[in-house]
Amino acid sequence: MTESIVDVRDLVREYAMGEDRVHALRGVSFSVDRSDYVAIVGPSGCGKSTLLNLLGVIDRPTSGTVSIAGERVDGLGDARATDFRLTRIGFVFQRFYLMQALSARENVELPLAEAGMKGPARRERALALLEYVGLRNRAAHRPSQLSGGEQQRVAIARALANSPKLLLADEPTGELDARTGAEMIALFERLNADGTTIVVVTHDEVLARAAKRVIHMRDGVVVGDERAR
Amino acid sequence: MIIQLALLAGALSTFQGGAAAPDRPTPRQARTIAIDSRLAADAGLRVGDRVVLAASPGEPGDSAVVSAIVRRGADPAEIARSEYRVRLHLTQLQQLTGYGDRVDRFAVATRADSAIGPAMERINDAAFGFRAHRSRDIAVETSQTFAVVSRFHKAIGVITVFASAIFLLCIMLLKVEERRRDVAALRLMGISARTIVGSIVLEAAAIAVLGSIAGVGIGAAVSWFVNLHYRAVYRTPLSFSVLTGDTVVLAVGLSLVLGIVAGWLAARRLVRTPPLVLFGR
Amino acid sequence: MLFALAAASLIRHRARTLLAILGVAVSAAMLLDMVMLSSGMKESFRGLLLSQGFQLRLSPKGTLPFDTDATIARADSLVALLRASPEVARVSPVLGGQLHFPAGASAVTAAALGLEPAVQGDYELVQGRHASAGNELVANDALLRALGRRLGDTVRAAAGYDAQLRALAGARDFVIVGRVRFIYFAAGQAGASVPLATLRAMQGGAETDRISLAMVQLRPGVSVDAARAAFERRLPRVAVISTSAALEQVDQRLSYFRQLAVILGAVSLTVGFLLVTTLVTVSVNERVGEIAVMRAIGVRRWRIVAQIVVEAAAIMLVAAPLGLVLGLVTGRYLNSILARFPGLPERIDFFLFQPRAAWTALGLLALCGVLAGIYPAWRSASLPIAITLRQEAVG
Repeated sequence: MTESIVDVRDLVREYAMGEDRVHALRGVSFSVDRSDYVAIVGPSGCGKSTLLNLLGVIDRPTSGTVSIAGERVDGLGDARATDFRLTRIGFVFQRFYLMQALSARENVELPLAEAGMKGPARRERALALLEYVGLRNRAAHRPSQLSGGEQQRVAIARALANSPKLLLADEPTGELDARTGAEMIALFERLNADGTTIVVVTHDEVLARAAKRVIHMRDGVVVGDERAR
Repeated sequence: MIIQLALLAGALSTFQGGAAAPDRPTPRQARTIAIDSRLAADAGLRVGDRVVLAASPGEPGDSAVVSAIVRRGADPAEIARSEYRVRLHLTQLQQLTGYGDRVDRFAVATRADSAIGPAMERINDAAFGFRAHRSRDIAVETSQTFAVVSRFHKAIGVITVFASAIFLLCIMLLKVEERRRDVAALRLMGISARTIVGSIVLEAAAIAVLGSIAGVGIGAAVSWFVNLHYRAVYRTPLSFSVLTGDTVVLAVGLSLVLGIVAGWLAARRLVRTPPLVLFGR
Repeated sequence: MLFALAAASLIRHRARTLLAILGVAVSAAMLLDMVMLSSGMKESFRGLLLSQGFQLRLSPKGTLPFDTDATIARADSLVALLRASPEVARVSPVLGGQLHFPAGASAVTAAALGLEPAVQGDYELVQGRHASAGNELVANDALLRALGRRLGDTVRAAAGYDAQLRALAGARDFVIVGRVRFIYFAAGQAGASVPLATLRAMQGGAETDRISLAMVQLRPGVSVDAARAAFERRLPRVAVISTSAALEQVDQRLSYFRQLAVILGAVSLTVGFLLVTTLVTVSVNERVGEIAVMRAIGVRRWRIVAQIVVEAAAIMLVAAPLGLVLGLVTGRYLNSILARFPGLPERIDFFLFQPRAAWTALGLLALCGVLAGIYPAWRSASLPIAITLRQEAVG
């Protein structure tokens, strides 16, 4: 039986926006197996990014449970949640969110340093990760000197720094042109082939089709769940 | 000369500001003196009290009656001097101290201002061992202490203004840079750099005006408090801090200029940066 | 990594960083000056009073030394009594006055001290020897310049005027045997010293057994306060002033400067604090998204706060030495203004650099700066990650 990396039960998330109450998630349940590649799709405002934030332990549910790699994460304190994000989860953002003041290598080293890895080993691992994403020769460049696709690849290398159990990506091709987006999709496929469990939130149909499984969402609930391959 | 006072306490009369006493005492009548209000307060003396005056402690001395209590004038030279002042008839003081037929100085009033110069010349021609000086020149000399304090204050003022200018520029730069994205969006919309700079300068000017008004208020309050405090400390009616129209005009004018210049410099720096750079791209 | 991020952030906004450094340096300079001013006069005066080893000063009752023209009568018996006291090591009687030196139609007037050269503590001999004979005097450079004389020259001097005869009274010739520096004289003040007996004789008058002041040096181990109290009891006709009492008087008279120093020092500290708080707040507000991302990828809150605090500390670290130099320069300038107080001893400094106090003040400013960074940093690192990321995405 395949190990379940993500397990979500009756997940609800509500928050106030001005005088209104927004019901972003209205009871979502699903699980993701190890080495699976899941795309979550749906129209804007359906709650998919909110769901991803809850899986990434950067937000807390109003009710329901979230387990990542067998550990309940929905009620973790700030310190424990931070540690969890550092060691178990890799997050890739639509806007890359690289540190502008650091080079590509230094950006990848950031989570390694936080995890306590020392200088030479840290540097070596960062370069190896950049090699993996095809950017070793750009290691010394700052984000402003890299294209959008290159920046996103650095962001992926950063997300993989501490060998996470789960890679989460929020609209990873959203800021990229079609050609670069295709490169990114190929990279995700390679990552998954190498064993990385990936959950992606996307509007990009091409990216969604590349995934092994697609979960459809609408108005805060799962309305479809199909295995593509 | 400072008179050492030995007191013989005797409450005779309670009225203040007594009537003038006769110039030369009768054998039974003591001569009269005037003491300053500080001595009266500290020694518990009142008009009519009898005291003994001696040139040195332990000497028998001369008895006298306090006929008046004098409030000390607003004399800067007396600040922080804790001695008491007693006014005696000249002959009594000369006799008491063994000074003989001598005085420390004369004060001379001429019939007209035009007579001052000639009078000084005649006195100085005849003088030996002393000189005549205009009262105004003496005042300048004896005010040297306060001239020094005044220069010190000015120096501190200049340093403070310089320091404030640096702080202002720094804070203005920070605050204006906080709005870099807004400025970038305006520029992309087609709003001219001139309009943006003008708007920021206007804002800086408004803040400078409001700040100046608040500063004048604070300055007036502090000035009042300084006078209250130091008059009590030094027991003097002197005014230590005076807020004049000139001072207010200078302070407000300077802060306006500094505020506007700081705002202009910060704004100009921002509009010279390409909008996309301001957006962080 | 922490230092690399902090340095990179500071370098990214060069103008802002430089201005902040300058602002904090100016704050530090003003704070240093005020620290120097608050204790400078007192410490400088203490050094002056104790420079020759005399711990007590006896002056006419109710007066401070040379505050007035009053003198102590029956001085010789007073001095003999003091010298006979077992607690006393040395007594220097001092008589003040003036000497007039004829110079053409007018005269040069100098402050004069009648002293006993063997025990005196009022001047330092620069050249030559002490004046011991009745026809000898020592003079400072200001007097020598005014008279146009040198060591070894003979000058005529008198202690007073005879208005009847229109002549200097008690004039006599003196040989200048020594060039001296008077410890308590103001800058440029012309001064001379003759033996005590000589000045008394020249001043004349019915009673010559007078002095203006007696300075007393106690034997090692003797309590100054106990000796002062004992002498006050035994000698009710004089005021016995210890160094600490004299300092208190000076402190009281110049309390304005101390209070000004405290106020301006507090203002400097506050302004420095506000400047760093503003700088950190703006800097952090600009990077709210970046901070949220760092939190999202697992960087701990305290490390983010530490990075921002390191930035604030770096500014303080660079600004402090700059402020020290600025402070010393402005302190010298302000001291030169106050040194022109009439009658102020030349050796008194209002702004005295005391390393311990200075480093304490700068350390306090640095601490304030660091603390100023903590709150805005903590606040931004505590923002909800998801909401912040969404707002940054929208923005």
